[in-house]
Amino acid sequence: MVTVWDYLPYILEGVWWTLGLVAGGLALGFIIGLPLSIGQVYGHRILKLIVEIYAWFFRSVPLLVLLFLFYWGIFPATGYKLDPLTCSILVLGFRSGGYQSQIFRGAIQSIGEGQYIAARTLGMSKLQGIYHIILPQALRIAFPGWVNEYAIILKDSAICFVLGVMEILTRTRYVVMATLEPLLPYFIAGGLFIALTYGGTKLVNMVYEKTKIPGLIGRM
Amino acid sequence: MSFWESFISYLLQGWVATLEILAISIPLSILLGLSLAVARVYGNWLISLIAGGFVALLRGLPLVVTLLIVFFALPKLGIYFSPFWAAVIAFIMCSGAYQSEYVRGAIRSIDVGQSLAAQALGMTKIQEVIYIILPQAFRRALPGITNEIIYLILYSSLAYLVGVQELFSIAKHFNSLQFRPIEIFSTTALIYAFMATIATLFFRKLENKLKIPGLETI
Amino acid sequence: MSDDIVLKVEDLHKNYGNVTVLKGVSFEVRRGETKIICGPSGSGKSTLLRCLNLITRPDKGRIWLEREEITNRNININKVRQKIGFVFQEFNLFNHLTALRNVSVGLEVVKKMNKDEARKIALEMLKKVGLEEHAHKYPAELSGGQKQRVAIARALAMNPAIIFYDEPTSALDPQLIGEVLEVMKALAREKVTSIVVTHEMGFALSVGDEMLFMYDGKIIERGIPQEVIQNPRCEEARRFFQRINELYVGKRR
Repeated sequence: MVTVWDYLPYILEGVWWTLGLVAGGLALGFIIGLPLSIGQVYGHRILKLIVEIYAWFFRSVPLLVLLFLFYWGIFPATGYKLDPLTCSILVLGFRSGGYQSQIFRGAIQSIGEGQYIAARTLGMSKLQGIYHIILPQALRIAFPGWVNEYAIILKDSAICFVLGVMEILTRTRYVVMATLEPLLPYFIAGGLFIALTYGGTKLVNMVYEKTKIPGLIGRM
Repeated sequence: MSFWESFISYLLQGWVATLEILAISIPLSILLGLSLAVARVYGNWLISLIAGGFVALLRGLPLVVTLLIVFFALPKLGIYFSPFWAAVIAFIMCSGAYQSEYVRGAIRSIDVGQSLAAQALGMTKIQEVIYIILPQAFRRALPGITNEIIYLILYSSLAYLVGVQELFSIAKHFNSLQFRPIEIFSTTALIYAFMATIATLFFRKLENKLKIPGLETI
Repeated sequence: MSDDIVLKVEDLHKNYGNVTVLKGVSFEVRRGETKIICGPSGSGKSTLLRCLNLITRPDKGRIWLEREEITNRNININKVRQKIGFVFQEFNLFNHLTALRNVSVGLEVVKKMNKDEARKIALEMLKKVGLEEHAHKYPAELSGGQKQRVAIARALAMNPAIIFYDEPTSALDPQLIGEVLEVMKALAREKVTSIVVTHEMGFALSVGDEMLFMYDGKIIERGIPQEVIQNPRCEEARRFFQRINELYVGKRR
C-alpha cells in the first residue's frame, strides 16, 4: 500500500516551485516598488498620485481576487494566455511592488532632506543625489521591512495553488486526494512553510549583519 | 434581469456573509491578541512558553494552510467545525497571533516605574494590567493592530476554500455562469478595497480619538 | 508597642545575590513624625524603602505597620500597600490618565470608591498641592515639579498611615525643587507621618524630627537633624555632609 511518506519527495519538489514564486515575486516587486517609492517622494504631483493609487489598489485587494482577475480576465483580454506560474509570479510581483514601494518610501523619508540637499550643493544632479547618497542608505534601512516582505510573500505564495501552480500546497492537496489522509500531508506542508519562513528570515538577516553600517539602523 | 442587476443582488448576499465573518473575527482577534501578549509577558514560564509557541506556529504557517488544517485535518482528530466556523477560528487565531506581537512590544515599552507605582497603590497584578498597562499598550499597538485587521479583511476571501458562500465565492460562482471575469472580479476587487479603506479610516479616527499627549506610538 | 508607633522596623537584612545591601536596620516612626534618611548612594536607602512596602522582600527581619506585622507571610500585601503612600524619584505617573485620574484611580480601583466620590477627593488633594487648575492635563503636559506634586497628591488621596518619599527632588531641575519641598513641608507641619530619603538639608533642618544616616547597609548615626548634620560623630557622616554642603552651595550659586 502507498503511504503518505512515499509521496514525500513529490511534496518536497514543490519547495523549488514555492521558492521560484517567492524569488520572482520579490524581484519583480523590487523592480516596481523602488522606482515607485522614488517617484512618490521626489516626483511630480501627478506621479505621486499615480503611485499612491497603485499602492492603494494592490494593498487593498485580496491576492485571491487579483489572481482570478488577472488570470481569467486581464491577461487573456490583452491577448496573453499565460501559464499559471508566470501569471502567479506577475501578480505576486505587482502586489509586492505596492507593498515594497511603501517600505522604501518610509526608509527614504527617514533619511531626511539634509543629506539630499548637501548632495545637491556638491553639484550632484537630482538623480545622482538619489542614486549615490539616498539609495545606499535607504536600502539598508529598509532591509528589516524587506525581510518581513519575504516572509509575507512566502506565505501568500501558497494561495497560488488556486491556479494549480505546482508549489507545496498544490502537491499536498493531490497527496491528500490520493491517500485520503489529510492530517499528515497538511502537517508536512505546514512544517515546510515554517522552516522556510524562519530559516529564510534567519539566512537573510545574517547577510544583513554583514552589510550593516554603524549608526544606520534599520527601522520597522 | 440585466447582467449587472442580477450580479449585484447575488454579490450582496456574499457581502453579508463576509461582513458576518468579519464582525465576529475582528473583535475576537483583538481580544486574542491582547490575551496572548499578556500571557507571554505576565504568565509563568509554562503559560508564556505555550503562548509564545502558539504565536510562533501561527506566524510561521500560511493562513491558507492553517485554514485547510482546521477544516480538513482536525476532523481526523475528532474536532469538527462547520465551514463558517472553521474560517472564523482560523482567522481569529492567525490575526490574533500577529496582533499579539505588536501588543507585546507595546507592553514592554511601558516603563517599569508605572508598574511600581501601581503596586505601591495596592493594586493587584490583574488590576495593574487592566487599568494601567493595557490602556497604554493598546494605544501604542493600535497602528499595528489596524494593519493586521486590514489583512484580515482581505484574507477573509480565503473562506471560499472551505465552502463558505462569502463575497469571493459568490463572485467566482457567478463568473462560472456568466464568464465575464473582468467586470466580475474588478467589481469584487473594488468592494474589498472599499472595505479596507473604510476600516483604515475608521481606525485612524479611533487612533485620533484615543490620542493622549506623551503616548505616541512606538 | 504603643499606639503612637506607626512603623517599627527590626533587624532588616537584604541581599542581592552576593551583595548585601541591608545589614540589620532597626528604627521606629512615631505618629506625626517626619523621619529623614540620608547617606551616600549605594548605602541602601532606596532598598530600605522598597523593603518597607514589600515591593522587595527583605531576607530577614520584621516590620510592623500600625501594630500589624507585615513581614508575616499570610498578610495581604495589597492591603498593606494601601496604607503606605509612596512618592518616587521619577514620579511614575500613569501616562494615559489626567492628573485628576492619576489621583483618583487608586480610590476607584483599589478602594472601590464610586467615581464621583473618588474624583471629589482627588480634586481636594490636587487643591492641597496647588494644582486644581491642572486637573485635566496629562502628565506629558506638566512640568517635573507639577508631576511630583501630582504624585504626592496621589499618595495622599489613599489616606495612608505613612508616606515614603524616595529622593523626591533628585530628578528635578533646580528651579523646580522649591515648589515640591514647599508642599512636603506643609504636609510635615500638618503632622503627616513620613519617611523622607533626601539630600535636601534645608528641608531636613526645617521639618525633620529625626535623621538617620545610613552607610554600607547600616544606620551608623541618628539624632535630631541639626546635630547629625552640624556635629556628626563618625568620620563617614562628616565627609558626607561636607560633600553635600559643597554641592548644595555650588548648585545655588
